[in-house]
Amino acid sequence: MAEFHKLIANVREALEHQVAAPTHNGEAASAEAVPTAQAARRVELASQFARELQAVGGHFLGTPTPKETIACVLEVATALNARSVAVGAGIFIDPAPIVAALERAGIEVFRTAPVADDAARAVLRQTLAQCDFALVEADYAIAATGTLAMLATPERPSSLTLVPPVNVILVSIERILTDLAAAIAAIGAEAIASHRLALVTGPSRTADIEKRIVLGVHGPRELHVAAVWQGND
Amino acid sequence: MPHESAPQDFFAAAEAAVADTQLRRKLENATGRHLDHVAATRAEFPAYEAERDASRRIKEESIARLDELLVRLKERLEANGCNVFVAADAAEARKYIVGLARERGARRVVKGKSMATEEIALNPALAEAGCEVVETDLGEYIVQLRGERPSHIITPAIHLSKEDIGLLFNDKLHIPYTSEPTALTAVARERLREVFLAAEMGVTGANFAIAETGTLVLVENEGNGRMSSTLPEIFVAVMGIEKVIPAMADLSHFLEVLARTATGQKLTTYTNFISGPRRAGEADGPREVHVVMLDNGRSAMLADPVLREALYCLRCGACLNVCPIYRRVGGHAYGSTYPGPIGSILSPSLFGGATAALPFASTLCGACREICPVKIDIPRILLHLRWKETATDKGGDGALPAPEWPRAAERARDGVRTFSRMARHPFRTRVLGRMAALLMWPFARSGYVRWMPPPFSNWTHVRDFPAPRFRRRRKARAKIEAANDAAKA
Repeated sequence: MAEFHKLIANVREALEHQVAAPTHNGEAASAEAVPTAQAARRVELASQFARELQAVGGHFLGTPTPKETIACVLEVATALNARSVAVGAGIFIDPAPIVAALERAGIEVFRTAPVADDAARAVLRQTLAQCDFALVEADYAIAATGTLAMLATPERPSSLTLVPPVNVILVSIERILTDLAAAIAAIGAEAIASHRLALVTGPSRTADIEKRIVLGVHGPRELHVAAVWQGND
Repeated sequence: MPHESAPQDFFAAAEAAVADTQLRRKLENATGRHLDHVAATRAEFPAYEAERDASRRIKEESIARLDELLVRLKERLEANGCNVFVAADAAEARKYIVGLARERGARRVVKGKSMATEEIALNPALAEAGCEVVETDLGEYIVQLRGERPSHIITPAIHLSKEDIGLLFNDKLHIPYTSEPTALTAVARERLREVFLAAEMGVTGANFAIAETGTLVLVENEGNGRMSSTLPEIFVAVMGIEKVIPAMADLSHFLEVLARTATGQKLTTYTNFISGPRRAGEADGPREVHVVMLDNGRSAMLADPVLREALYCLRCGACLNVCPIYRRVGGHAYGSTYPGPIGSILSPSLFGGATAALPFASTLCGACREICPVKIDIPRILLHLRWKETATDKGGDGALPAPEWPRAAERARDGVRTFSRMARHPFRTRVLGRMAALLMWPFARSGYVRWMPPPFSNWTHVRDFPAPRFRRRRKARAKIEAANDAAKA
């Protein structure tokens, strides 16, 4: 029994070390670094989100820093053998460096912008229907259900997360909330009344044939999500 | 309209369905799988009961304040730029939507999964007006290709096997035969994608309507509702008036229970919030949004204090899957858009006619009440409807005179009385039981009594009895008595 207590004491001590370290790579905390308890909470929510996302058939790309995110997205693009990508405007994460990297890799990038008329709308639809994947940032994520909340704006149209066959979604790690009620409260009734909102939980799916689950009926059949850890480069 | 309420006798249809062993296997399979998922999801969500109670309370309040909430919802929807049409019945709703399609020159209409549009038989009306209407929920698409109606609220093609669907696609879509669900789904995706991109008008239902903000909420897994409400220029949502809830803050309670009960998911893949048409610069969303608020018998249900509770229904379909009757006969036997226990309550009020007999198609076992996410006391309402149906004065105000029992019911009542008198005396019961066994014994064939001469044939026609076994009963009794003695000692 004494052995066991010793083991537990060791484990506890080891765990404390981990939490006490301010950053992943053991560097001194920068001015932007978050307090430790809050960081631990974020990791907890991100890992719960990851579990739930995977349970509904999504892929979690980890919690990269903005720099690492570029490599993350490129990796998905390579795996898909992608030649074209549609990119929505960012919210907290600037997509410009990712776009540059994608272009360097020889992938055609289409950046969504407000449409002026029906002709522009038709072009956008066609592009989205033909691109290999879409990259877009989510407003919030919900840990309890593995859900992404997407508020549509002219720069980030709703069809980005609906029409392309694959979605790569970035979400700022501090925007991962505990549950549905918290997310709806955070988005706010006002924003919902004036924008189209879609809560997306995993890839499009059906169980209409003998209750067997098949992914990718109408919406994307693959969903990759990265919880981007800001200010950590 | 032939689709509105198929005048068919449930009991005749049920007999045919029970004889279909294939159908029974498919139903057992699908409903069983559903119940396993539901049990598993609930087990890992401790707050389920609390969320269920909250949902129930909000529905109680919403229905009690229905007038006020509908006024507010209409105001808010209009302020958001939607057109609101209030339809007193199915014909009015159809007329409005068909008129709209005609006026706007919409020839191609896509439909997201919606029970309300099934209820008003919208498809044939649009087809008659020259529109091409395509159901885009995979299950609905399948039954539409077969020229059938959905047999389940949330799993429309529950009565079909993957082989049935393979043959159907082979026949109608001219693809090589396959029964692989993934391949079949891919074919449907490709076909329907073209349809979505070309359609001028999209029609769906609505799961919730939030009065506070004028927002419609559409819950689904495939993306067909999202497509139908995002891509076409004109979008029409048909909602029953009971779908309104007061505030955005109320919504999460329902979403926490709805998918868990309906499919065993924590949340459906897509929860779409639609508050109005697209705004300047936006690529997506319709130019026009029309909301059809459908009464069609609901206000009459509201007037009946017992029946009112049925308006809390979220259309999750769980009561179908637990119902011993539904699991044997399937949805088509009910001859109504809404089958199963909740359908047996809704149908007589919404469609009348032959569906008035549906409240009798229940064993009142209470499994539906147990699983209902808003705890609707379905057996109680079924009894109430039976009582109303058998009463001579069909007032509908809830204060009915004592019903005049039909002769069969009278005989049944007398029979039960006689039995209860007899069953109070163990000796008499034993003697009479023995006499009955002796009477049945000559008719026993390979362990069962399947036929007896009249008047007992009335009985054996609907039931097979295990052949009486004298010796074992005596032994069993001896065992019980021994156990009793042991307990005393």
